[in-house]
Amino acid sequence: MTSQTETSPTALRIEPGMAERDPSTFLRRRGRVEFALSLATPIIFVLAWEFASRMGWMDKRFFPAPTNIFDSAVNMYQTGLLEKDLIASTLRILAGFALGVVSGLIAALALGLSRKTRAALEPFLSALYTVPKLALLPLLLLIFGLGEFPKVLLVAMTVFFQVWISCMEAILTIPETYKEAARSFGAKGWSMFRHVTWPALLPQLFINMRISIGIAVLVIVGVEFVQASEGIGYRIWHSWSLFQANRMYVGICVVAIMGYVFGYAVRWVGIWALPWTRARTKV
Amino acid sequence: MHGTASSAPKIEIRGVAKQYHSARTVQALSKVDLTIADGEFVCLLGPSGCGKSTILRMLARLHKPSDGEIIINTAGGRVTPTAMVFQDYAVFPWKTIEQNVRFGLEMAGVPMPEANERTHRWLKKMGLSDFAKNYPPTLSGGMQQRVSIARALATEPEILLMDEPFAALDAQHRRIMQEELLQLWQEDRRTVVFVTHSIEEAILLGDRIVVMSARPGRIMAEFNVPFARPRSPEIRTDPHFAQLEQEIWNMLRDEVERAYGEGGHK
Repeated sequence: MTSQTETSPTALRIEPGMAERDPSTFLRRRGRVEFALSLATPIIFVLAWEFASRMGWMDKRFFPAPTNIFDSAVNMYQTGLLEKDLIASTLRILAGFALGVVSGLIAALALGLSRKTRAALEPFLSALYTVPKLALLPLLLLIFGLGEFPKVLLVAMTVFFQVWISCMEAILTIPETYKEAARSFGAKGWSMFRHVTWPALLPQLFINMRISIGIAVLVIVGVEFVQASEGIGYRIWHSWSLFQANRMYVGICVVAIMGYVFGYAVRWVGIWALPWTRARTKV
Repeated sequence: MHGTASSAPKIEIRGVAKQYHSARTVQALSKVDLTIADGEFVCLLGPSGCGKSTILRMLARLHKPSDGEIIINTAGGRVTPTAMVFQDYAVFPWKTIEQNVRFGLEMAGVPMPEANERTHRWLKKMGLSDFAKNYPPTLSGGMQQRVSIARALATEPEILLMDEPFAALDAQHRRIMQEELLQLWQEDRRTVVFVTHSIEEAILLGDRIVVMSARPGRIMAEFNVPFARPRSPEIRTDPHFAQLEQEIWNMLRDEVERAYGEGGHK
């Protein structure tokens, strides 16, 4: 051993850091930095684009400056075009999403709670899952005509598989102790569902609804490319074919914002509806 | 052997306090001063939420103190002088028993052949050799905690930190594990800081028992355990054992009630 006075040269000193010495300042500063960073990324992106476009580094016919795109957006809003497209797409997304979630949940319960149903349907549904849903659009158009229903149905089919698989897995992996605890107090059938199965699958349901609503936006844009006379997807495709790059970018931005808003809405409903999972979301 | 006293203490805790800031500020630990000698087995005893685990986590450098400082006198030359055994084992379910035990050695940069040799030595010592290729969920709680202890001891830490390591085990397993730990420690007397709720466990294992108050935790009293080393589990039947247990319980009782009164959960 080395000769020691107070501490050896290799002593380890554990002291308060910045976060401990002044925690309120630390937390406030961290909050401000994170907020600034979340804004900085899109702002820098847009500014760089504007700059590059004005300097003529990019072909303005394909990459118009963000300010020009914004002007187009204002113009489309004033003529009512944007509103009409937005409403058309939103209604399709929400209808398809609702249909998909409800049917997915029913399938998840039917397959998750009964071994026989699972044996009968799981391989079949799993095989269907891998069929690209957009590839079915021509078929749906043949069967149901050119109206709204095939569009909504295609969104619903996409959402259905997401919700079905994740919720079925959630039901199958409910810890046995919860089920035993409920059963020991006489819960069965409906009361088991209400007190254990349903709350246990909710977290998975919300995670998947968040993913699904994004996919619903993707699908509806794809569908509207092919067959629609209004809607954001139609607007993007139509503007492209008319060589109106500004309007095309307006459409793209609107789709991005729609996806963001829907995703957040689902997330906040989830936080509100699942108070017992809140403690787990650590800062 | 580490045990022979060197001049400087192994651990010096000087005026350490800890607050947690979330929705409201919680004072977990008020000013704590504690000195631990090299090779000493110290038990921290106190009601839930008194900050025992916080002290341990600061020693492991998982948390920093809000005030004060901790000095650990190390021999130097290693990644971390401490190794920790957690209450809920914290063995990785995606690693086999063998991989779990080798984990600390890999982190410490021990060359593979030596790491394997030490891993197998500790697997054997802890009676885990037959399960080397198993995954943790296939083992009982007691076996998983053996894995966790082997993982910590395989790194030959200067300081072993144990956070209620046997609290999740059933009473019989707990007793067996206590006796095994007593045996293991008496073989190579390294510094141990052991957090527990059990007065009996503290007396059986510790050289010194530090009794802490309800939150905000502070040190209320220290007891030197009078039983000589090497100790055998039979000291449980010694009248002095029961006497000391009663004495500590008399002191703790009010604190425990105070902790529950405040809804003192973790």
